Amino acid sequence: MPPRTPQTAERRHNRPVPLAAVALGGLLGSAARIGVAAVFASEGFPVAVLVVNLLGSFLLGLYVALRQRAVVRRGSPRFWAIGVLGSFTTFATFSVDLIRLGTENGVISIAAYVVTSVLGGLSVALLGMRIGGLRP
Amino acid sequence: MIQLLAILFGSLGAVLRYLVSGLVQERVRHDFPVGTLAVNLVGAFALGLLVGSGADLESPVIVSLVGLLGGFTTFSTWMVETLGLGPWSVRAAMNLVVMLLGGVLAAAVGFIVS
Repeated sequence: MPPRTPQTAERRHNRPVPLAAVALGGLLGSAARIGVAAVFASEGFPVAVLVVNLLGSFLLGLYVALRQRAVVRRGSPRFWAIGVLGSFTTFATFSVDLIRLGTENGVISIAAYVVTSVLGGLSVALLGMRIGGLRP
Repeated sequence: MIQLLAILFGSLGAVLRYLVSGLVQERVRHDFPVGTLAVNLVGAFALGLLVGSGADLESPVIVSLVGLLGGFTTFSTWMVETLGLGPWSVRAAMNLVVMLLGGVLAAAVGFIVS
């Protein structure tokens, strides 16, 4: 057996099983995000993106806490944390929507969107961690 | 039906996020979450590029690419990693500010150069 070098450590990423777990989780997370987008479709304020980002942050906080405390032992974090909950939320749309809100609705709606998304996201992620029994 | 493309490409985006953020994080050998920073800024830039290009946002190619970027970037990981740096720490504040301003800047640059 060859010694573990940084190169072999890097190659662990390319193993097929972890990639399949991320891909399957990403499939479910993306489907859920697109489902929420269809339900909360709106012109103007990006309600759907806010909903997925807050819900996803809460659930990831909860999952990380339960996993860290070994309450949840089964299932792969690559599937749940990176795949499902990582893909359910989105940063690209959040950033582009901030610019759109700024040019169409002005600085107050930018502030409202940043505060609800970022302070809201931190609060609900913290809430999820606390409910899961972790105090970061 | 076109949404199926967005879902499939979202899955591909998740795999790319896993690979790219893992490789960036290993290169840096630092516990500041630069892997997530890298994918989110690249994704914001790319979406700015797409939206700014004026292409038909309902065409299959654009729907697929937007779906890919939705899966490639992540908001939940940003939040949880920020809390992991210590809720009231300077490093947590830095992770918030750099990602937020970087994302807007990256998207704006994408929009302008397209």
